[in-house]
Amino acid sequence: MSGKFRHDIVHRWEGNPVIALDDLTFTTNNIYSAAAVKKNGEYILLVTMEDLEGKTSIHLAKSEDGYHFDVEETSFMTSSTDDSFRAFETMGVREARITFMEERYYIVYLGVGHHGFVLCLAVTDDFRTVKRLGVISEPETKAGALFASKINGKYARLERPKAGDRIWMSYSNDLLTWGESDVVISPRSGFWDSDLIGCAFTPIEIEEGWLLGYYGIKNTSSGPITRLGAAILDRENPCKVIARSNIPIISPRKDYERIGDMTNVVMSSGAILEEDILKIYYAAADNCLCLGTTKLADIVKTCIESTKEF
Amino acid sequence: MARKRERDLLHRWEGNPILTVEDIPFRCNTVFNGSPIKINGEYLILLRVEGQQGYSFFALARGEDGYYFDVDPEPVMMPEKQGFFAKYETRGLEDPRITFLDGKYYILYTAASDYGSRIAIAKTDDFKSYERVSFISEPGNKDCVLFPEKINGKFARLDRPLGSSDVGSIWVSYSEDLIHWGYHEPVIEPRPGYWDAHRIGASVPPIKTDKGWLEIYHGFKMTSCGPIYRMGTVLMDLQNPAKVIARSGEAILSPREKYERVGDVNNVVFACGAIVEPDDHVKIYYGGADTSLCVATVYLDKLIEETFS
Repeated sequence: MSGKFRHDIVHRWEGNPVIALDDLTFTTNNIYSAAAVKKNGEYILLVTMEDLEGKTSIHLAKSEDGYHFDVEETSFMTSSTDDSFRAFETMGVREARITFMEERYYIVYLGVGHHGFVLCLAVTDDFRTVKRLGVISEPETKAGALFASKINGKYARLERPKAGDRIWMSYSNDLLTWGESDVVISPRSGFWDSDLIGCAFTPIEIEEGWLLGYYGIKNTSSGPITRLGAAILDRENPCKVIARSNIPIISPRKDYERIGDMTNVVMSSGAILEEDILKIYYAAADNCLCLGTTKLADIVKTCIESTKEF
Repeated sequence: MARKRERDLLHRWEGNPILTVEDIPFRCNTVFNGSPIKINGEYLILLRVEGQQGYSFFALARGEDGYYFDVDPEPVMMPEKQGFFAKYETRGLEDPRITFLDGKYYILYTAASDYGSRIAIAKTDDFKSYERVSFISEPGNKDCVLFPEKINGKFARLDRPLGSSDVGSIWVSYSEDLIHWGYHEPVIEPRPGYWDAHRIGASVPPIKTDKGWLEIYHGFKMTSCGPIYRMGTVLMDLQNPAKVIARSGEAILSPREKYERVGDVNNVVFACGAIVEPDDHVKIYYGGADTSLCVATVYLDKLIEETFS
């Protein structure tokens, strides 16, 4: 073991970034975060890209090893022309989160329209065709993620309504109408996540409950710093926080995380758990997509030890 | 000789305001926005009363003619102190709207807490006991009215989520069970340059007319001295309220009288309900300057005519 102190619980892949603008076969302005899933041994990402006009769309990227990806030039999802969705997606779609549930891949994504951000739901079986199911929130709501299994007989999701900048959750019987909303966790004044938080990758069911990866923002005089943190939520009642890390699991430090259209951002909307290793795909400085890995046990330990400390 | 046209389409009752803090039989700061209902010839108004502590709750007023009211000696709905609802009602209950539907009186109100403002729904059979049903929005939403009948087999509501840049538009949503809501669509938005340039919200529970659903809404224009709240109308398709048939160009009521201009919040007229009499005479109950409750009247056909102009 090297004597060098590890500042972040998440270990950056030495080959970062995983997807940079120069890797693409087409012109785009920015790369945002990506949903991630492993299907039949293949790694699949749904990456948000912003084109030169400023509109966002979602592109599919595939890999055999989880490190080297081919990005498809034709977008997987772009602004809908369908009457039911058009008005909600005039300025694009972005920030997909995949949940594998009931043998189908559900995608919660953001519609960006002139009213602001709304959560939308789509489903795919093969990542070739995708079917939009519905607009599932009013504005202004972001960072939506479906839990992978029903909770107390109902579908459940996380979300971040703009008012309060907290993480909430809601329940549904049909995936289209939602209610019973309750607050899950809030920003903590004085901490690294003092000003705004939102769900990062889709919650992962682990032995202790649900692992929530979230992003947290602290505002500084030169703008926000976006970091990733973690908490463990009760399996039956996710509004009950069992443990929450006092420290981020990764903070912007590398040049590719510090320099870009949005400086000092690490932001994830996709992670894959393989045995005891968590692969976290994260966007850096709204400019490229990166990979960080960590042992699940290390994150859990950080969450639980934080609880003891306070 | 033609009669001199009033400046506002609505006619203020000469005895306004109908209620002020002087009429409340317990200590409080103000009484303002109230939602009326007529049951067997008796007029009831669920009142928003602001206590001296600074948060609001509901009291009940009763009258026989729609103009003169007595207020019950005790408040009827206070913020819950315990249980699930308590967490989201710590800063009070605001702006009730009553809708009679399927034999019950539903009360849509805004619950205020440190977490923000969200919409809640309660019900009553008799205005003696009140039962909370559910919160039906996340924070950042208020001004919710329930349609008085189902649309295409579903409950329907209007509300006012705050969209990007804090623009508030009126949206419609649907539900099978009054608890889980979806199929959200925008109905109308603020109109730059108009009296409703900055934010709008539903005010009176929609009134069914042969021309469509008539919604009396509020809107404000921001000035350097603060917002000016006014009232306007919009007609929506009976089967699909997201489809707007007509919208009034002018405000139908603007703050002009002293009880509308001077109070805790200046220059506000804010309706939470109306009674349509059998002869189509409409009594619109509205708060004046967040300090009084008033009534103004108009015939339904005039309201519809104005909506098309």
